[in-house]
Amino acid sequence: MVMTTHEEKMRTVRFRVAATPHIVVNSEICRNECSVHACVYVCPANLFVPLDDGGILFNYEQCFECGTCYIACNQENAIRWSYPDGGYGVTFRES
Amino acid sequence: MRIAVCLKYVPDPGTIEVDPLTGLIAADRLLYMLNPADESALELALRLRPPQGTVTVFNVGPVEADRLLQEALAAGADAAVRVWDSAISSTKPMITTILLAAALRAAELPDLVLCGGHSVDRGSGTVPALLAEHLGWPVVTEVTQFEMQPDELQSGRMRVQRRLARGARAESEVTLPAILGLETGLVHLRQASLPSLMRVKHTPIPLYGLEELGLSPQDLHFPAMTLHEVMPPRPRARVMFTPDCHRSAPERVAQILSAGVAGKAGQILDSGTPEQQADAIIDFLRQHGFLEKSP
Amino acid sequence: MTALPAKEQFDVIVVGAGPAGSAAALLSARAGLKVLLLERGEYPGAKNVSGAVFYGSAILNQLIPNWWEQAPVERYICRRDIAFMSPTTAVALDFRCAGSGYATAPYNGFSVLRPKFDRWLAAQAEAAGAFLLTSAVVDDVLWDDGRVVGVRVRREQGEIYGKVVIACDGVNSFLAKKAGLQREFHAHELSLGVKEVIGLDPAIIQDRFHLTGNEGIAFEYLGAITEDVHGGAFLYTNRDSLSLGVIGQVSSLVERRKRPYELLERFKAHPAVAPLVRGGKLREYSAHLIPESGWAMQPKLYTDGLLVAGDAAGFCLAAGLYLEGMNYAIQSGLAAAETAIAACRRGNFSARSLAVYRKHLKQRHVSTDFRAYRHAPSFVNGPRLQNLYPEMIARSMEQIFRVDGAPKRKILPLAYRMVRQSEIRPGQLLRDAYQVARAYLW
Repeated sequence: MVMTTHEEKMRTVRFRVAATPHIVVNSEICRNECSVHACVYVCPANLFVPLDDGGILFNYEQCFECGTCYIACNQENAIRWSYPDGGYGVTFRES
Repeated sequence: MRIAVCLKYVPDPGTIEVDPLTGLIAADRLLYMLNPADESALELALRLRPPQGTVTVFNVGPVEADRLLQEALAAGADAAVRVWDSAISSTKPMITTILLAAALRAAELPDLVLCGGHSVDRGSGTVPALLAEHLGWPVVTEVTQFEMQPDELQSGRMRVQRRLARGARAESEVTLPAILGLETGLVHLRQASLPSLMRVKHTPIPLYGLEELGLSPQDLHFPAMTLHEVMPPRPRARVMFTPDCHRSAPERVAQILSAGVAGKAGQILDSGTPEQQADAIIDFLRQHGFLEKSP
Repeated sequence: MTALPAKEQFDVIVVGAGPAGSAAALLSARAGLKVLLLERGEYPGAKNVSGAVFYGSAILNQLIPNWWEQAPVERYICRRDIAFMSPTTAVALDFRCAGSGYATAPYNGFSVLRPKFDRWLAAQAEAAGAFLLTSAVVDDVLWDDGRVVGVRVRREQGEIYGKVVIACDGVNSFLAKKAGLQREFHAHELSLGVKEVIGLDPAIIQDRFHLTGNEGIAFEYLGAITEDVHGGAFLYTNRDSLSLGVIGQVSSLVERRKRPYELLERFKAHPAVAPLVRGGKLREYSAHLIPESGWAMQPKLYTDGLLVAGDAAGFCLAAGLYLEGMNYAIQSGLAAAETAIAACRRGNFSARSLAVYRKHLKQRHVSTDFRAYRHAPSFVNGPRLQNLYPEMIARSMEQIFRVDGAPKRKILPLAYRMVRQSEIRPGQLLRDAYQVARAYLW
């Protein structure tokens, strides 16, 4: 099984999900001011879901904490970003 | 009031990978954690602890579990005890509870023992009951809530809410000393403060071996159930659905999209006046007993 | 400046137990300093991803003699391949060295798995006397009278004080930004690496890659591998697995609207790569940002009471031929430790006192290397050198080797036609040739 779907890839990663999200997306800004929605494409965990109304839904549970969304986003304050609480979040075993 | 909490060190279910050919678990891929139901138990014990009370945590397991007990101390437990001995070869519930009962006695019997009802690895759910058997105490399982008013603390009685089948709940009362088996996911364990986390890092955990517990290896030689194999669910044969070739293209597409699942037989009311349609609905409801039949 | 003896709980607080942090903690602790090493993961390495080939064996050997005998290393790298790719062709430069320093101690580099390697290195720092605390995420630095005096851990009573703070908190360094040493990054300065570890039997790895025993190979790929996204790919051998991945510039991924994991799948399906990974089983997928711009994104490296090292300081050399980070992380961590030790001896932690960090970085050849290759990243990581030229080389070779009854062309006319077919102007070609020369030759 060398060729894998994104779901199969994500199943190999271990996450210890924190009670509160460490990334908060201001969907108002995504809806009203952003036409690019770069986050939807660049996120390696595919966690940004475009909504019908032009907003963005973000799921923090399977985040790699890589920071790509924050770097790629061209809007001010659309993504508020920090790390999860100590011991929570992604835990790599082999990478 | 003295409270004891039994903690189990379990593999994170997300990291368990079973080789389909050998049936063996890839041990080098496992990451361990505190059993979630035990996490609830510890947090509830800390919340229940009265000003003069103590919470002591117990574990049966190898030295790796010390980390877990240190985390419990950091979160606020007053003392920790780990039970292990080179003569212990298994952590079957029967053996674990013999050891736990002996350790509870050795550390002076508490007023209340809290256990997670089920562990995420073995999950037999028998530890609270077996422990009660060894101690001769009452046990309440499937506990979702419990509370003690100050006057109940005096009388040693406790009110307990249990989960029953199909969402029903039961209110019970139990006389202490007693054992409670708690449901999973009731509460999260509090985050330890930085000073406590640093303090417990090198705190030694007292270890009780068989000798300290007054047991001999024969005491653990119990004709218990043996687990031979765990089999994954058998995959169902997949039958490819083929649509009826006599139908029109749109009908065939609809058949494929429904994946062969026939919808419930129903009737679409797309003709007649609104009044007639309403009458048809009322007739339907009467026929099926949702409305009383007209006299 | 007010003296704060009661608050100075530690001499050195190191934030982040990656290679930079653990090396800094190890050296500081050996000098007898009271060291706190903070890590936000459940264990050191839990959040860390790189290729990963560690090319700093000789450096670590000075610190821990014969370190590879006790560390969780995978294979020593004595073969390196650089492949230029078109969608159907690959032309490779194959390097193999059985000579000393590559196939013998102290070795040139080892493939490693970061969660295991980083955990081991942090344990060495702990053994030297550093206090390692995991599950501790640092949100901010603490200031007093314009000087950094400690850090704030996101826990109750999380303030902790130290004479010097060494920020080794990685590419997204919140500390360097909070302390005003680093600006916000642009999307063209960083690359995203997505990676897979694919399990494969050691005997198959040896046969398939022509390796004996514990030898290992590092492949790097340039050209049409990431389609029109600026980037490249890699494949390294571990003991019983392969580490492979695709690297793409963030701005370029955005412009081309490419999903990184789809590029990874296409890479594995390339005719030159597919036979190498055949029969493997995915063990773990991961992703991480790479501070590829090096010199251009370097923060101010120190301020009163604070030093920055590792990826947090942009010490990652991504310049075509080189793809090195862990060795510079360790070197800069050691340089920061040397600076902290000297500052503790003097009892002076002002920016002026910590300025010797620059000298130590130079002595450890960190800043000199980054200065020497300062022109490389912006150019090498651009579209032409990373994608277009490698693809042209691959296509040219395809033409040169082709026998189809048509008259054989000599190489120069062939190359001329290649350039004509691409949209590169001859002037641009010359300028690029000059820039390659300036980047690598002198």
